[in-house]
Amino acid sequence: MAGAELSFRQGDSLFHRMTPFSKLLFVLSVSFVAIFNTNLYVGVGLFAMCLALALFLTGVPFRQYWALGKIIVPFVMLLAIVFPFFYGGQATVGSDTIALRTPFKDLTWAALGFGALLGLRFLALALAGLAFAFTTHPTDLVQHLSRRGWDYRLVHAPVLGLILFPSFLKLGREISITQRIRDLGQNTNWIKRKWIRVKHLAFAMLVLGLRNGQTQAMALDIRGYGAYKTRTFMREVPRHRGGDIFAWIFFALSVVYLVIQFNPATMQWNMG
Amino acid sequence: MGTHEQGGAVPGGWSGRRRGGRRLIMGRATALALESYSFWFKPQGGQPEGPAALTDVSFTVEAGSFVLILGRSGSGKSTLALNLVGIYPDYFGGRNGGRVLLQHPTRGLVNRRDLEAADRFKLVNMLFQNPEDQIVTLTVEEEIGFALENYLFEPAEIHRRIDRVLDLVGLSGFRTRETMCLSGGEKQRVAFAAMLALEPAVLLLDEPTSNLDPAGTADVLATVDYVREQLGLTVMVIEHEVDEVFDRVDTVFLVEETRVHGPYAPREFLATRGLDVRDSMGLWIPQAAEVALELRSAGIDFGPELPLNGVELAAALLEAGIDPPSQARVTESPAGIVAQATDATPQSVEAAIEVRDVSFAYGDHRVLKNVTFTARRTQLIAVVGQNGSGKSTLASLFNGIAMPDSGAVLVDGVPTTEYKFAELAKRVAYIFQVPEKQFVCNTVYDEIAHGLRALGMDEQEVDSRTIEFLESVRLLDRCDASPYVLSHGQKRRLSVAAMVVGQPTVVVLDEPTFGQDFHQARNLMELLRGLADAGAAVVFITHDMRLVAEYADRAAVLCDGKIIFDDTPGALFAAHEVLERARLKPPSVYEFSAEILGEPVLTTPALIQRILEVGRGWRRTVV
Repeated sequence: MAGAELSFRQGDSLFHRMTPFSKLLFVLSVSFVAIFNTNLYVGVGLFAMCLALALFLTGVPFRQYWALGKIIVPFVMLLAIVFPFFYGGQATVGSDTIALRTPFKDLTWAALGFGALLGLRFLALALAGLAFAFTTHPTDLVQHLSRRGWDYRLVHAPVLGLILFPSFLKLGREISITQRIRDLGQNTNWIKRKWIRVKHLAFAMLVLGLRNGQTQAMALDIRGYGAYKTRTFMREVPRHRGGDIFAWIFFALSVVYLVIQFNPATMQWNMG
Repeated sequence: MGTHEQGGAVPGGWSGRRRGGRRLIMGRATALALESYSFWFKPQGGQPEGPAALTDVSFTVEAGSFVLILGRSGSGKSTLALNLVGIYPDYFGGRNGGRVLLQHPTRGLVNRRDLEAADRFKLVNMLFQNPEDQIVTLTVEEEIGFALENYLFEPAEIHRRIDRVLDLVGLSGFRTRETMCLSGGEKQRVAFAAMLALEPAVLLLDEPTSNLDPAGTADVLATVDYVREQLGLTVMVIEHEVDEVFDRVDTVFLVEETRVHGPYAPREFLATRGLDVRDSMGLWIPQAAEVALELRSAGIDFGPELPLNGVELAAALLEAGIDPPSQARVTESPAGIVAQATDATPQSVEAAIEVRDVSFAYGDHRVLKNVTFTARRTQLIAVVGQNGSGKSTLASLFNGIAMPDSGAVLVDGVPTTEYKFAELAKRVAYIFQVPEKQFVCNTVYDEIAHGLRALGMDEQEVDSRTIEFLESVRLLDRCDASPYVLSHGQKRRLSVAAMVVGQPTVVVLDEPTFGQDFHQARNLMELLRGLADAGAAVVFITHDMRLVAEYADRAAVLCDGKIIFDDTPGALFAAHEVLERARLKPPSVYEFSAEILGEPVLTTPALIQRILEVGRGWRRTVV
């Protein structure tokens, strides 16, 4: 359980009061708009809105987002810079065969806009996802979805996975430290050493992870997990009408926007 | 614990079982019984079924009793417990024969197979060794409510039971606390409370204190005592560290070669088999009983009752006519006796590690605060302190796993920041608490050879040195085996051998004797003593004060990220303020030897020697 940087944070913000279902609806809406949107201005607007919501409506300090942001932002920046060279339209402007060899001078605004949109897309998704993770209690999620007919064991299994994931990561870190201490792959080149270490890491984590998993499975069994098809919940998740309205309005707007802007001829993966 | 002052009344009643429990105790009804029970593990990967893991086990446990299950590592204690609970064979397969009978509140003794699956765990439940393995929710109340929700209890009843069990385990104010912010002892008490919430008639505890510091151990055991007293619960505990447990239990079972012997009364067991199980099976026995048994074999008769603790030993010695404080006239101070002298290692001995004014933080959490510490060659140094006091972080600075935020760590006079990681790793061998985490090869042979190849030896020399090393740690016959299939003791020996094969300057070990029996622990500590004598600085992190007393040249105490004490173990145990602040506890022999001799000694052999010296005078007087 150590170091659960991405887990739920107690709070009383609008997002905390929204039901898990409303938040899921919101995150799904953001995801679809982010993925299918081809308009840079809408991309900027969506990112700005997600940032504002995360900062002002979740009650979670910015540094909490930044804990993951500092890992994901450089990756997103890299994508935003590299992908313009692969942009579909670019092939016809610069090199006629290999987009990667597009000269800098031949980069178009459309290609650069595509890179920027890609970056904004990932950032908006990350912000919405983190806002959901930080403000949604796992048990509330299980309760809400099981009340809508989902088997609680089905819903709870990934939640348990999320709760136990930090200890799995910790195990991986320790094995990785061992590899460095014992200089695994000594006297081999960089690539071969990495390959040896990845193989060993996978094997050791499988063996030790399965063993830990078996103990955790026993601990769940003796506490009646899965003994019945349903379960009770010690605390009802309260409904929050304002949150529901916000989520449904956002969902409706995103559907309308996607219908309006959907045009196969302008989708960037349409090379024709 | 400070939170059990709420008085004797159990809020709400144990669904009526408290009174029932007392009635059962008075009548000594059966809580659980095994009849000719055998168990075979499920064969893996098309292999034929192996020999029985439990053979023809029959015993009865009386309601309200406190049972200790003893046995060497790998003898089948946990397998027995998991069969009693029903994890085997119901959930993880295997084949069994015979019957497990459980006391049902309304139906009397019933075969476990005839009960609904859900009811089985309500009658008998189990607490695992590591609380981290069984905590699956984010807050204390959810953790306790988890099983109740699964068993379809109504919310009002769940809340009532949560309040009640938190009260019982002394964590009343912890209801909304996050589980990840609790100390080890608190986590174990929460896991205990989660089991209690189901109101089982029998509770099995599998080494519940093995991951805990002395304060956490004391908290958990006090909680078990309190709960037993309040509820008349039947408790069965598996333990290696028996000093704190033996005089609490009323029944002992011994698991030996797939069979279960007993029940024994604790005194009867120690009197008849105490030295035998220590010497032939490597089991720990209480220090007071160990002293009494050794004295008895040296000819001092204590009568029929064997002392189980220091108070009883002192009384028995007095009764036998030995009054050491008045008779002790020892002019010399043999090794191990009263060591309050300061560290005798000369300052001229080369410092292998110097930690100079080091601070370190994980994010906003400052773990080490201006720590200064030196480890000299030839020293065996214990680093002790509560869970979370910064011991492992300090050790991780030695080999560059972590780098200090301020200050400097020097290895052989050079800052760790100036070493390449691999070079530093060769000088500082870091040995993890869990041996499997440091295996990197497919065979036992290759584990050792790997370190020698790193030194640039040719294959012939690697081969001869590997064989030599494997012989020295008694693993030559397992040289082709996978390291993962060794026994726990073998894994530990291999992990140490693999790390010290390159003759490092410093050896750092995290809980080296965790889960080891008497012989394994002794052998390992002798191995470490040998490394220190050969010129290495050996630093070991431990909660086991008996090891500190017997083997350490120095003990450094970490408390809230600061070293608050650094001197000999004898001086540490005499520093009551330090012990109290760091919530440490001297080994029991230190405490009761003070009672007996008027001055404390650190080890049982030293106490025995001292009493025998006094006893010789006594016997001359008697003659």
